[in-house]
Amino acid sequence: MSMDMRMNMHAGKSVAGQEPPGGESPTSSRLRRAWQRARFVVRAVWAQGEGRFAMTVLCLWILVSLVCLAWTPWPLWATDGYRVWQTPSRAHPLGTDGTGADVLSWLLAGSATNLAICLLTVVLAGALGSLLLAATVSRTPALAGSSTVVVDALISIPTVLIALILAVPMGSSALVIVLACGIGYGLNLARVARPAALLAAGSDYALSALSSGASGWRILTRHILPNALPAIAVQLSLSAGSSVLAEAGLTYLGVGVPSGLPSWGHSLTTSVRLVNVYPLTVLWPGLVVTIVVVSLNLFGDALREAIDPASNPALRQEAV
Amino acid sequence: MRFLLRRLLLFALALLGLSLVIFAALRVLPGDVATIMAGLNSPPERVAALRAQLGLDRSLPRQYADWMSGLARGDFGRSMLTGQPIGAQVISRAVITFPLIGLGLGLALLIGVPLGCVSLMAGSPRLRSLSHVLSIVGGSIPALWGGLLLILLLSRGVGLLGILPAQGFPDLGWSDPARAWASLVLPALTLGILVGASLMRYTRSALGELADSGRIDLARACGMTRNEALVRVGLRLVLPQLVSVVGLTFAEMITGAMVVENLFALPGLGSGLVTDLGGRDLIAVQSELFMLAAFFLAMGLLVDLLHRALDPRLKAAPGSGEAGA
Repeated sequence: MSMDMRMNMHAGKSVAGQEPPGGESPTSSRLRRAWQRARFVVRAVWAQGEGRFAMTVLCLWILVSLVCLAWTPWPLWATDGYRVWQTPSRAHPLGTDGTGADVLSWLLAGSATNLAICLLTVVLAGALGSLLLAATVSRTPALAGSSTVVVDALISIPTVLIALILAVPMGSSALVIVLACGIGYGLNLARVARPAALLAAGSDYALSALSSGASGWRILTRHILPNALPAIAVQLSLSAGSSVLAEAGLTYLGVGVPSGLPSWGHSLTTSVRLVNVYPLTVLWPGLVVTIVVVSLNLFGDALREAIDPASNPALRQEAV
Repeated sequence: MRFLLRRLLLFALALLGLSLVIFAALRVLPGDVATIMAGLNSPPERVAALRAQLGLDRSLPRQYADWMSGLARGDFGRSMLTGQPIGAQVISRAVITFPLIGLGLGLALLIGVPLGCVSLMAGSPRLRSLSHVLSIVGGSIPALWGGLLLILLLSRGVGLLGILPAQGFPDLGWSDPARAWASLVLPALTLGILVGASLMRYTRSALGELADSGRIDLARACGMTRNEALVRVGLRLVLPQLVSVVGLTFAEMITGAMVVENLFALPGLGSGLVTDLGGRDLIAVQSELFMLAAFFLAMGLLVDLLHRALDPRLKAAPGSGEAGA
């Protein structure tokens, strides 16, 4: 790390507790510090071999998704009744499906759908989990008790059951996956991050903030959530991986992404039928899903190291 | 005792809440249940007849009460698709699903716990990292794909080594146990590998956290080697945690089980539920969803009680329900 950056950090730190530096509002200074912290975390993830692999794959995923919104090797709806269930050829590297459409194009286009589902799930799970956490550490005993009880009671309901219940009125739609995973993983998140949040809520610094007149909201956002953040971030990263797997399973069962919308679950389902035509085509969709899920898991592992001030000195320096 | 009572009360409340949610999910349908079950183009008098037959013309609270009292008496109604009583149908499916999940869980434990120990304790770092990679990759495979690969490797017909039946359940059912079990091997192996990989990770991380603690040092001071201490003292200490994880994993296994049942054409609970949902047999779906939900809530209850029985430390900490899991 360069010298001037460290100076910057100290400068930023020394004013943070008192007054914003000249001309800069408190919000923008806080944003700047959050940005800087995020950069330290990303750099620490990249510094690990596993993290580098994970970030490369994830960037590729985003890139492919963006490209596929505009271009795929074959148009998705270029069907041809005379060329159904074809074995791989130069024109169709992965063969064609039952309507004669190019399997590779559908697989590539599916990455955008999965990326969207994954991001929405993470946002929903994060929001729901944080809300439940906030209720758990609230100083109203009834609220804290009931949120703990709700999480503990519902945690044993599997995601797929939530999805099936939702699918009764909603039919098969990508929204079912997002809602079911968001609810399921949100509950999980609240359970996993609870110890860290409770520890922070009962700590001396939270108490001292309270006694100096800080509002409950301020204690929550400045003291409790930042302490639970490592647990939250890691859990969300694992949830992202689970959501990709859940999409594949639910779509195969017919309650996930509706047919007609490309997704990896859709490609996997197609490949089940392709087994009898050319067994090796089965490999590709499953391989893509596995590599992406492995990357999300590895990213979570790398993040665990990177986001924890105890193992990432860059973050510690700033906190001194 | 107080804990048990509170937990039972919570179980009953959660069950009540879920029954309301499931009931509501079927009633907020666009159109109503009878219209959907009768089909789109059926004449109005047929819809009305169906509505009367299913009791859907009564008020909502009355319908809910009817449903609940039926459940309490063990009367679940009749399936519209097969004409069988739903209770009997569920039992005939459960005798496939539960052996499948049981076998899968057994395989998962056999794979997960020993390999989890190996990935922490093996002497050579290469073996350690190899088993770690295995656990991560194994936990990231979609159930559908894992099953397909096993079919391609081991099944009769398409497989490289044609030793096991690929799909279906023998018509004779359990009266021919050898063939029945043989048809469950591949699906259970699929589940076992996927779940075993995640158990492996849990074993490794739980034992790993413990390895840095004073308790293992103490055991070593008493003359055990590190690995001996980890297996004899460490595994006992992480046992309550592992039971919790296995319980939750069991719940998540049902997702895999549904996919695997469909893929291997086993007429179990999961594939049956999907069939009923697809066939718009909504009265059956309502009861089956409720039974599954009740089952998982009961599992959660059981796991919490087991966890507490196995971990005397929780009893010592007053008031704190099951925190520290």
